[in-house]
Amino acid sequence: MGRIPFIPKAWKALGALAAVVCLLPLVVRNDYFFVLFNIMALNAVVVLGLNLLIGCAGQISLGHAAFFGLGAYSSAIVTTQLGWPLWAGLALALAVTALFGVCLAVPTLRLEGHYLVMATLGFNIIVSICLNQMEPLTGGPSGLAAIPALHLGPVAVDSDRRFFAFAWASFLILFAWMLNLEDSRIGRALKALHDKELTARTLGVPTHRYKVQVFTLSAVLAGFAGFSYAHYMTFISPSTFDIFYSVQVITMVVVGGPGSLWGGLAGTVFLTSLRELLHAVEDFQVLAYGLLLTLSLIYFPQGLLPAVIGLFKKFGQAAPASRHGAAIVKTLQGREARSHHRDEKGQPGSSSAPVLRVENLSVRFGGLQALAHVSFDVQPGEILAVIGPNGAGKTTVLNAISCLVRPTEGTVTVRGVPLTGRSAHEAAAAGVGRTFQAVQIFGHLTPLENMMVGYHLSARSGFCRAMIHTPQERREEETLRRRASALLEGTVLEPKAHEPTSTLSLYEQKLLEILRALALRPAVLLLDEPVGGCTPNESRALMDWIAAHRRADMGMVLVEHDMNVVMAYADRVVVLHHGRVIAQGPPAVIRKDPRVIEAYLGTKRRARPGRDRREET
Amino acid sequence: MDGTLLQQIPQFFVAGLTNGSIYALIALGFCMVQNATGIVNFAQGDFVMLGALMAVTLMQKLSVPVIPAFFGAVLFGALAGLALERGPLRAARNRDVLVLVMITVGVSIAVRGTGMLLWGKNVHSLPPLGSESPLILGTAAIVPQVLWIIGLSVGILGLLFFFYRHTLLGKAMRAAADNPYGAALVGISVKRVTALAFAMAGSLGALAGILITPLTSMSYSGGLMLGLKGFSAAILGGYGSAVGAVFGGYGLGLLESLGAGFISSAYKDAFAFIILLAVLFLRPAGLFGSERVRRL
Repeated sequence: MGRIPFIPKAWKALGALAAVVCLLPLVVRNDYFFVLFNIMALNAVVVLGLNLLIGCAGQISLGHAAFFGLGAYSSAIVTTQLGWPLWAGLALALAVTALFGVCLAVPTLRLEGHYLVMATLGFNIIVSICLNQMEPLTGGPSGLAAIPALHLGPVAVDSDRRFFAFAWASFLILFAWMLNLEDSRIGRALKALHDKELTARTLGVPTHRYKVQVFTLSAVLAGFAGFSYAHYMTFISPSTFDIFYSVQVITMVVVGGPGSLWGGLAGTVFLTSLRELLHAVEDFQVLAYGLLLTLSLIYFPQGLLPAVIGLFKKFGQAAPASRHGAAIVKTLQGREARSHHRDEKGQPGSSSAPVLRVENLSVRFGGLQALAHVSFDVQPGEILAVIGPNGAGKTTVLNAISCLVRPTEGTVTVRGVPLTGRSAHEAAAAGVGRTFQAVQIFGHLTPLENMMVGYHLSARSGFCRAMIHTPQERREEETLRRRASALLEGTVLEPKAHEPTSTLSLYEQKLLEILRALALRPAVLLLDEPVGGCTPNESRALMDWIAAHRRADMGMVLVEHDMNVVMAYADRVVVLHHGRVIAQGPPAVIRKDPRVIEAYLGTKRRARPGRDRREET
Repeated sequence: MDGTLLQQIPQFFVAGLTNGSIYALIALGFCMVQNATGIVNFAQGDFVMLGALMAVTLMQKLSVPVIPAFFGAVLFGALAGLALERGPLRAARNRDVLVLVMITVGVSIAVRGTGMLLWGKNVHSLPPLGSESPLILGTAAIVPQVLWIIGLSVGILGLLFFFYRHTLLGKAMRAAADNPYGAALVGISVKRVTALAFAMAGSLGALAGILITPLTSMSYSGGLMLGLKGFSAAILGGYGSAVGAVFGGYGLGLLESLGAGFISSAYKDAFAFIILLAVLFLRPAGLFGSERVRRL
């Protein structure tokens, strides 16, 4: 199914929706209802973009009325006052909204979530004030009239029924595109960054750029709706585009179900109809919106549609049985199968160039020198362990290598490429794969999809191709899926590939996290306490499995507290203490090094509290 | 530049300080809630509206004398703040900051809708404190209400400063804002401190509303703009910093007044938001904020 180009996966539901839309004009005789349906379609387009922004990227905009208004006014002004043709008006409307969207998004999306709420809100008010004050251009509070009606080529879209066809056809096409986008490499990356942004970056997802693109896309959708609105109504005034409209569309998304495009549509249909019902008691409208927004956020933060669907799904779903016991056995078998692999090409090649070179690395957090002049190399095929007491700077080393922390001094070079000044997703592209101390799995995605995010960098389709689902994009998607399944094959995760990640045990999550990092085909794999929290059996199984995945062209850096693990699996050990390297060498030598013993246990003379262990927390 | 405009500068300053006092009070309300819970309370502006319109009802419908009405309305603001915290915010199932922020947006709309049903769509006003004849000071004419606004605000800000620095409860609030777990460990009830923060934010908003209404009058939707400007002031000062909120309030008041005088009075309301965007783009930590704003 997944390989059909152009058409979304949910084509049956979409077809049903299209059929209902086609039937409406035959059933409904009263033309008044068509005004309602038309406004509904335009709202649905705005909500579609907003929902993508909220649901996939986790960003909230309280300024979509401004984009709606900008689209409406820019086309209305040039078509009435300058006599531009309609298509030029449309092009301008889209360009203007895209431009403002980018300008607003680039600086604000670098900040925490709620800053975008504020920036878009402020933007909305500024636009409202400008629409009211720029009288020569916008007609001021009394608005712009005599806007040319829409026409498609020679066909004039001048009646409510004709506009109905135009608006819903446009909506259905855009809806299909957004469904496609959601079901693509980009959509997965967006969901991943919504869930755990830092982790997504370490897998090579350029999170900031994607967020800006999604925001711009949603602004452009609002602009398109605005353009259609202006040429449908042929009259616009600023009051349509004030904050209350922004709140209305947010309410539609929230009530319907943020994150589910179908939910957003349901919310739009429900609330747009409600507004018409409340027309008789217009004074209650504001209160009704406020209460609906508040109550659905309090009681149904997932939205009403998912809540209803969830209620249906509750019946007839048995809890999956634990296969954990069998799991370890299976992993062990996997190890046997691959162990010859290691003998062939897994030995550290001392002659070749190092895959990772850390030189003179220093990291300072304010007054704390977390790392001071740390240098070491990792050879291809080698497992290098970094050990040290708590607070020695082990995780900081990994963070600096994966560019999550900017070093104050020194360089990190991967396969000969310096990473100085790079961001985390570029480090991933250069060949740094990593796992985290607290395991980081994208909870909104299945294990297979988690793996496919790991393969993000091995495909290239961008937003446009993803929206259209071009044959090339579908082939790419199929390759990603095949590779991801192949990597899961033979592991305990194989039978659980399509189950929610919440059913995975800690051990399985750790395995998935490592596999996901391997999907990058990294030059160096950074493992931050891979067996922390595992039972001794699991710990051994996981470490054997990791050791079996040595590759001749990949080095591993292992940060671990369990000395047994370090001594058994590491080829070489680097010991950190207070951010400095105090010893470096094979495990057997390190074990006997007096400085290391001192750092861990203290010597008799210096073991007084408060001296040696001041940085232990 | 013509002479008359230059002569008006003192007048601009007086107007700026007057509005600035109001913005500072509102901004401080934002700051308190931010410190107690980490959320932006978009209903802050509606406390302003509720306080003002409650004072109108008390004085004009129930003929309560000025001073009891004043305190009654401030108390009502405190109760409204408490109700917001005790009700929707505590009931929310999803504790995500963004969800809580959107809940305050919803409450704000609901309160505005209720305000429209209770007080109608008309504009209401209050009699000024003191006489109505202006004092002439150089080239500036000052209505006594302006002096009341500036005086009372500065007095309240001073009291709050004393409260936070020198009383045990104030210190407990600062401790809970800094580290709720640590505060709980030393026996501070974080829940109560949070409730107190909302009550104080509500009463500050109500106070701002009662003070400004004699000058500009108030309608059910009047809280929106004032609230958002107070919010811009808080951002300008550095979100979450109390000192920043006060300076941001006065700074915004002055910038707005001078901007309206020298650039364009039609865009007076836009200045606050242009400043808001400029601060967010250029220095998200604001003038007095620490660089704690997390860049992702």
